[in-house]
Amino acid sequence: MSLIPIYRPRPSPLHASRAGVGALFCCALALTGALYRHPLVLAATLTAVILAGVAAGVGREIRRSLLLALPLALLVTIVNPLVYAEGDTLLVRGGEILGRRIDITLEATLYGALTGLRVMVIVVALGLLSAAVDPDELLRIFRRASYRSALTASLANRLVPVLARDAMRMSDAARCRPRPPARFAVARAALTGALDRSVDVAAALEVRGYALGGRPPRRRRPWSRHDLRFLAAAVAIAALAVTGAIAGIAWVEPYPTFELAWGADVWALSAALLVLALAPFAGRRARLGIGGGA
Amino acid sequence: MTLALARGFGYRYPDAARPALEDVSLEIEPGTFTVLAGVSGSGKSTLLRSLCGLVPHFHGGEAWGELSVGELDVREHGPGELAAVCGTVFQEPETQIVMSGVRAELELPLEHRREPAGAVARAVEETALALGVAHLLERRTETLSGGELQRVAIAAAMVHAPRLLLLDEPTSQLDPVTGDELVWLLRRLNEDFGTAVVMAEHRLERCLPAADRVIAMDRGRIACDSTPAGFLAWAGAGAPALETPAARLFSLSGLAARPVTVKEARAGLPPLERPAAPEPDGRRPRLRLPWRRRPESALALRGVWLEVEDGPVVLRGITLELAPGERVALMGRNGAGKSTLLRVAKGLVEPSRGRVDRAGDVALLLQNPGDYLIHDHAVDDAGAGGVLRAGLAGREDANPRDLSGGERQRLALEVVLGGPSATAVLLDEPTRGMDRIHQDELTARIGELADSGAAVAVATHDTEFTAAFADRVVLLGQGIVIADGPPTEILGGGRHFSTQVARITDGAALLPEDGAAALRSAPVAEAAG
Repeated sequence: MSLIPIYRPRPSPLHASRAGVGALFCCALALTGALYRHPLVLAATLTAVILAGVAAGVGREIRRSLLLALPLALLVTIVNPLVYAEGDTLLVRGGEILGRRIDITLEATLYGALTGLRVMVIVVALGLLSAAVDPDELLRIFRRASYRSALTASLANRLVPVLARDAMRMSDAARCRPRPPARFAVARAALTGALDRSVDVAAALEVRGYALGGRPPRRRRPWSRHDLRFLAAAVAIAALAVTGAIAGIAWVEPYPTFELAWGADVWALSAALLVLALAPFAGRRARLGIGGGA
Repeated sequence: MTLALARGFGYRYPDAARPALEDVSLEIEPGTFTVLAGVSGSGKSTLLRSLCGLVPHFHGGEAWGELSVGELDVREHGPGELAAVCGTVFQEPETQIVMSGVRAELELPLEHRREPAGAVARAVEETALALGVAHLLERRTETLSGGELQRVAIAAAMVHAPRLLLLDEPTSQLDPVTGDELVWLLRRLNEDFGTAVVMAEHRLERCLPAADRVIAMDRGRIACDSTPAGFLAWAGAGAPALETPAARLFSLSGLAARPVTVKEARAGLPPLERPAAPEPDGRRPRLRLPWRRRPESALALRGVWLEVEDGPVVLRGITLELAPGERVALMGRNGAGKSTLLRVAKGLVEPSRGRVDRAGDVALLLQNPGDYLIHDHAVDDAGAGGVLRAGLAGREDANPRDLSGGERQRLALEVVLGGPSATAVLLDEPTRGMDRIHQDELTARIGELADSGAAVAVATHDTEFTAAFADRVVLLGQGIVIADGPPTEILGGGRHFSTQVARITDGAALLPEDGAAALRSAPVAEAAG
């Protein structure tokens, strides 16, 4: 089971929107995680991402992203108070290691936890992108700008699961040998096999006319209601997040004593982010098929 | 206008001791269906790679003589330019699919040609419908079966409507039904759209009925260029490894005709007596079941279930015993549970329920022999004795990657047999992409292992190979044993799981040798041919 979500087409409004718009929506949520340190705003954004994932039918993939993000978040939470001793409230007075005094403060611990929460929001939002946005369509947009780089990314995206299966097969074959070989030998053989695969794929690309080097033509696709709704939500989320950050809403001052805003504007911002993120999934117009309105 | 023209064409791979192609002269006309025949290493793949321009542009090496495709000289024009004339499909479905989605895969060749968006959309739609992959367009490529992947690869090769389609053993990785469907799909492309097809293939009985012409390669040269019937006559005289079972049945019987299809063969033979049918009440006569009296099992699976978490039930209470010295073929369509059963038997996978009893070591050779060959020298993988038993004496220092498919298979088998004497030897699809000569060698090796007391079980789709090596056939379907008996009963009485000779003789014989013996004992007056 891969912790990195893999895209599968599903009948959801997010999957039905064009790849560029779906990616913008997910990136707007990730941007919010990057801009804020306030626990309420981060919790609201994380909730919004999880609920959006559930509404898009990728709840299981979001759970995997959470599992991937959790150790990173814990690591940040633990490391921050160990390396940063600012703050007035001393929790643990440690000894000296390599001439450096290790004191753990409440403020550094809380700040570490908030940074961990930010990591979770960003990782899970990108997990939503990975699970719900067609990578071929997305990379096709980039192929118009940088053809070879985007095609290389497409190949990598295609070959990762193939090579993962190869590695699993080679591991099984190693278990079938009477004397299991050294790990290095298997790893080297797996690498050589990956290179062989690459040569085969390169040959396939050649006979598909890769050397002609054409860029994909611009597609003129009518904008669907899902495209418009997710685009509006992405723009609104990004605009609200940037405006709120510039205006200093939801400020957090971790040192010397931990202080943070709890005014109505913070609650309003958090609620607005949640509503905006879920709005494209709500209502009759979010339904798929001909009954949902044009 | 001739689509492809070769005059005295030759080619040598970089650092190769001898040319892979020599003095090749041929013409491929529009709308023809040509089969390239020949044993492994005869030059079929190299000829196809020359026609699509990978030779010499991609592989390097030295080419001489004349070869043009669509009036483009292959030495001056690379694969990209030649792709306007010819589409190319390789053996391995997995590595010729470039994109993650089927629609994107079909769009890519047209995007390379800077086709406008409208033309791309139309070509993708029409090609998908024509090749029966329209229902796959929104699927992810990693979710497709081998047969579906190969169809998508053909669609990607055909999407820009090339006049020539080149295929290198496209059915070798597929089960017989999917392989047959693919050949008839190619015939329909050939007949409906006039696409010339050149296909290299080992399973000649599968594709000769669809072909107009057969070119047989031998050590890089064209040894025969004829109609299918003419090719079979040539093969009967000097290349028995390339004969189809039907043609071999006729040549062993002393009949002049060389039938291309089962229908032609049936028309040319007298009716033969079928073996005794099962008892009317459905019970098999006990006297004809020697495997019932087997001694202690070498390997036994008792009530084995395998339920995948969040997935299907793969094995459903399978009970199966293999006796020492027994040669068992496990057959069944893709997904029937054959490979999983072998993995459970070896211990690579733990069953959800049930028990596996092993009398001793179990050796398992999985589908890809290359996975076992991880060193730079054959001797480091299999030891000196293993290299000798694999028939590679004198090539101890050869890099396993430089060995042919059959040689790698033999070497990998010796790798898994390299430990203490195995009481059961399990092989998973060992004949995929293997020519008749190497199949015969494998049959002989299986015989040696069984004679030494090991139970041998082989998961295979290949009915001809099964008839040659097995003394028992176990048919799996949806994770249960649906038939278990001797080859004469399972392969002689089936529709799909039957040999070509069994279909010709209504199950009276499985192999050409048996059929010829039966014919010799049949009354001469009844002979129709």
